[in-house]
Amino acid sequence: MDVVAAFEEGLERGASEYRTAFEEAEDEQALRAANARFVGPSGALTRLMKRMRELPGERRKEFGQRSNQLKQEIAAAFHARLDGLAAAAREAELSGPHLDVSLPGRGRPVGRLHPLTQTKHDLLDVFVEMGFDVADGPEVEKHEYNFDKLGFPPDHPATDMQDTFFVASEGVESEARAVLLRTHTSTVQVREMLARKPPLAVVSAGATFRRDDDATHSPMFMQLEGFMVDDGITFAHLKGVLTHFLQRIFGRDLPVRFRPSYFPFVEPGGEVDMGCTICRRWQRGDAAGECRVCKGTGWIEILGCGMIHPVVFEHVGYDPERHTGFAFGLGVDRITMLRHGVPHLGLLYGNDPRFLNQF
Amino acid sequence: MLASHKWLEELTGLTLDVADVEARLTAAGIEVEGVTAMGEGLDGVVVGEVVSYRPHPERQKLRLVTVTDGSAEQEVVCGAPNVPEAGGRVLLAKLGAVLPGGFEIAERKLGGVVSRGMLCSETELQIGSDESGIVVLGDDIDAAPGTPAVAALDLHDTVYELGLTPNRPDCLGHVGIARELCALLGKPFTPPVPLSIPRVAPSGELLPQTESAFDLGLGSASSAHGADGLLPVRVEIDDPDRCPRYGAALVAGVTIGPSPFWLRYRLHVLGLRAISNVVDLTNLILLGWGHPIHAFDYDKVRGSMIRVRLAADGEAMHTLDGEERKLTADDLLICDGDGPVALAGVMGGGNSEIGDDTERVLIECAYFDPRSVRRTSKRTGLHTDSSHRFERGVDPNAVRQVLANAASAIAGLGGGTVVADALDVNPKPIAPETIEVRMARVEALLGTGYEPSLAERVLRGLGCDVQATKAGFGVTVPTHRPDIGREVDLIEELARVRGYDAIPTELPQIRPSEQGTPELIRFTRRLREAAARAGLTESVNYAFLATSDLKAAGVSERTVRIVNPLSEERSVMRTALLPGLSQNLQCAQRQQVKTFAHFELARVFSPRAGEQLPDEPHELGLLLWGDRAEWYGEGDELDFYDAKAALERTVHGLCGGRIETRLDDRLQADAPQLHPKRRARVWLDGHEIGVLGELHPETVERLDLLGRPIYGLIAVPALLEAVRAGGATQAHELPRFPAVTRDIAVEVDEALQAGEVAEALREAGGERAEQVKLFDVYRGDQVAAGHKSLAFRVTYRDRQETLTDKVVDKLHARVQKAAEQRFGASVRR
Ligand SMILES: [Zn+2]
Repeated sequence: MDVVAAFEEGLERGASEYRTAFEEAEDEQALRAANARFVGPSGALTRLMKRMRELPGERRKEFGQRSNQLKQEIAAAFHARLDGLAAAAREAELSGPHLDVSLPGRGRPVGRLHPLTQTKHDLLDVFVEMGFDVADGPEVEKHEYNFDKLGFPPDHPATDMQDTFFVASEGVESEARAVLLRTHTSTVQVREMLARKPPLAVVSAGATFRRDDDATHSPMFMQLEGFMVDDGITFAHLKGVLTHFLQRIFGRDLPVRFRPSYFPFVEPGGEVDMGCTICRRWQRGDAAGECRVCKGTGWIEILGCGMIHPVVFEHVGYDPERHTGFAFGLGVDRITMLRHGVPHLGLLYGNDPRFLNQF
Repeated sequence: MLASHKWLEELTGLTLDVADVEARLTAAGIEVEGVTAMGEGLDGVVVGEVVSYRPHPERQKLRLVTVTDGSAEQEVVCGAPNVPEAGGRVLLAKLGAVLPGGFEIAERKLGGVVSRGMLCSETELQIGSDESGIVVLGDDIDAAPGTPAVAALDLHDTVYELGLTPNRPDCLGHVGIARELCALLGKPFTPPVPLSIPRVAPSGELLPQTESAFDLGLGSASSAHGADGLLPVRVEIDDPDRCPRYGAALVAGVTIGPSPFWLRYRLHVLGLRAISNVVDLTNLILLGWGHPIHAFDYDKVRGSMIRVRLAADGEAMHTLDGEERKLTADDLLICDGDGPVALAGVMGGGNSEIGDDTERVLIECAYFDPRSVRRTSKRTGLHTDSSHRFERGVDPNAVRQVLANAASAIAGLGGGTVVADALDVNPKPIAPETIEVRMARVEALLGTGYEPSLAERVLRGLGCDVQATKAGFGVTVPTHRPDIGREVDLIEELARVRGYDAIPTELPQIRPSEQGTPELIRFTRRLREAAARAGLTESVNYAFLATSDLKAAGVSERTVRIVNPLSEERSVMRTALLPGLSQNLQCAQRQQVKTFAHFELARVFSPRAGEQLPDEPHELGLLLWGDRAEWYGEGDELDFYDAKAALERTVHGLCGGRIETRLDDRLQADAPQLHPKRRARVWLDGHEIGVLGELHPETVERLDLLGRPIYGLIAVPALLEAVRAGGATQAHELPRFPAVTRDIAVEVDEALQAGEVAEALREAGGERAEQVKLFDVYRGDQVAAGHKSLAFRVTYRDRQETLTDKVVDKLHARVQKAAEQRFGASVRR
């Protein structure tokens, strides 16, 4: 066929076919394939235009213009159709079925801090915000720091409150009962006061040990101890700090009451009860009721406290006439159990992943 | 300590409200831990009078008893041996009554005879411990038939359970509690006076009655022989430090028999069993005065003498409980002329016990040194009502008063007479002390003022003598309060009696300290948090375990040992965290947990030569095991590299340093419990910080685990040192020129560590080889047996200019050449 006829036919066919071809393409891939059939490297129009030189000179310009015009038309139609398909696809996705959002998230499971640690951190944070330093001390301790310096009288029943594990180091000579597992974190009080001078506001938390193992006592348990010494510290300050602390942890409306009690290293000594956070009787206002935790009294014993005994100051070289201070201690285990509703102590030290991963 | 409401009312002379007593005592530090109503659940139990009885037609042991409740007669079947004759009064549970145990009385056929009610024993009504027969009312009880049992026997009472702190021995008796209650209520208190009892001189002549409560004719002897010749007993005290005071009284002509119901019932509500009149009275005195007394059968006291002396080392004696006790030279004995009759303040001996035929009772009322009693009690494991009180400190100056009350009560109840001139040997008098309390100091400690007149009233109420001084009061403290020894103790009394509610609640100004919180404490907290973020769950294990646990875990067995462990399972302090973590894993495996990734951060303990206290550094242990499975695919098992990644993520939660795991020849010594071919030393930026590896298959077996757990151990002090050495992370300028990457695959011997190859490649590439990253390890058909192919992606970059392909080609060629030369590697291009 002569070249002019070929151009005529080619342009005509191209012009008449591309629309249908584009319209028939139902997705981007088909559209691009159709487009390539016309204007791709080996497309019909591309091939035709490569033959431009074969045209007689007087027709070249005319066919050149017509070819370019067609090419532009095709390009415009292609883009229009492409946009149309994209819009249709988006429309289909937006109106189509929902992503299965119920499938689990992908990735490594996270770890957990032990609930005792979480509680310990939360408790410490309240004191740190008030301005307390955090301190620490050894778990294997001298009798002197655990009892004597705190004013425990020798052979006194007060030590029955803290039945003690005594230890001996292999290959180390030591007097019997001179070394023990600390029965309370009050040892840190002694160590800090020996090492530092007032003003002091220190809080410490860690493992403590007593020879007790039953449903409500674990031979190892976590205690938190705090104390403050300065000029002019009073029992009113003790009440202030502990009330603030308990209300920060358990809620601003928590009722708190102080009762006299006895610990050899404080005088006056006290115990702190807070409203039972399980039955929350103070919110309900009714008198008695069943409660497993407070036994219907509405109160839970939560802290031991008192003004630091002058004998402790004398033992660490402070002047009890000048300095006064308060100290307090509480069981982290107990607070953890109350906060999280842990039904029994065994769960806390069982380290079952199925338990720990709940927190 | 159990306390009877009714008794307290008798002692205080007040009508008390139970809830008020509970609230006041608790608010004053005498915690009421429980309140139990006694004499409840006895509706329908009344006094019945026996009309007649006859044998049961079929059953020999039963009788048919006709009783009247005052308005009607009924026949009841009774199996008790002690049915009284006609006119005797018994307790009748009428039809419809429900006994305290829940047993309902209904018409019942017993051997063919219908029983319309039940005659009850003490145990059936839970009003006593006598189950040998039914209750038969004595002449002392004045109640007509039909009277409810509760009224007839005066059964209503309330028992308080007091949680006493060890500083309050005075409240270990009802007299002390009554005194305390009166002080709290602001009412005067008078201790009870002895009964007025006929007294005889040893000659048998009757002596005139005396008015004074305390004058039982007790001799004021200060020597052991003071009353020699009058009272036929001699007291010698060898050790006045341990026995500063010893009083004795003699009651003659006593008839031993059961106690009257009121006494039996009082002991019953207070948790003691009634035994016989004299023994019951010694218990009543103990519960009343809080002062233990001991009753000897005088005729069994050999040589008519009491000697208080220390035991000889190895000396033996039989205590009342039937045990033979081996004693030490630290145990105080009460002896007669022949040998020990009591372990002083702790327990009597069997030899001079009160028996049914006892006629003359020697009563001991003494004061023993609390520490001495406590040591003996601890050593022998004998914790008795007596030792409990002596070791807390009874009132040395109550000896005469208690003795007088005891002697008169025993004589009164046992039908005897008090022999005059009892002994009071007091070689080391303990006098009340006077302490000054300054009102300014009260305010300084409590943070609130205290009205001086109130202070005076409070202190007097507690039994103190009070004299005004310039600054406050001179307070003479009675010896029943051994816990009050200095000013601050009096301040506590003032605060306590007024109540802590009267003290305001104030926040102090807290001054910042110079020291702050030590770095290690802050660091361990961050480390814990980082480990949890890295996907590890925290374990908190007991710090003590069994020696066998250490052995199984292949960790140090040089231990800090517990001298008095609760069990062998918890008898040494841990030297490593592996045993605890492996127990957690073992439990998890038994519970079919599929994946386990735990850490623990805690102290481990090792003895230090020449040091009293051991070394107890913090360690971080991690243990991983199980499916790597995620929901998007059944994964493989967790392995070394998962543990390494967990470790890296943990450390990267603290610092930007680089974790490396390397081999060295000390691993066998340091980590024998790990797989010899699957373990490594862990380094952080040039610091050794721990070890990591699969557990040795033998360790796995010994620890009774399954599979291939991976254990990592980081020494926290070393980690802190490494992090501290790294200092604050220093920022680098970001690169401004693009990087070019080229891959290289190196086929090497299986034994060669990829890290070594990577390091060599990076070195060969020079400064511009920014990173060499392993992206594939291939073993199989394409490589020779015993070889592996390592594919690395090398990133080239110049900090000053854009690298051209030509330059990169040259650099990469150098890297390829190095690989061939260094490792004899065939480089796959
Ligand atoms: Zn409650």
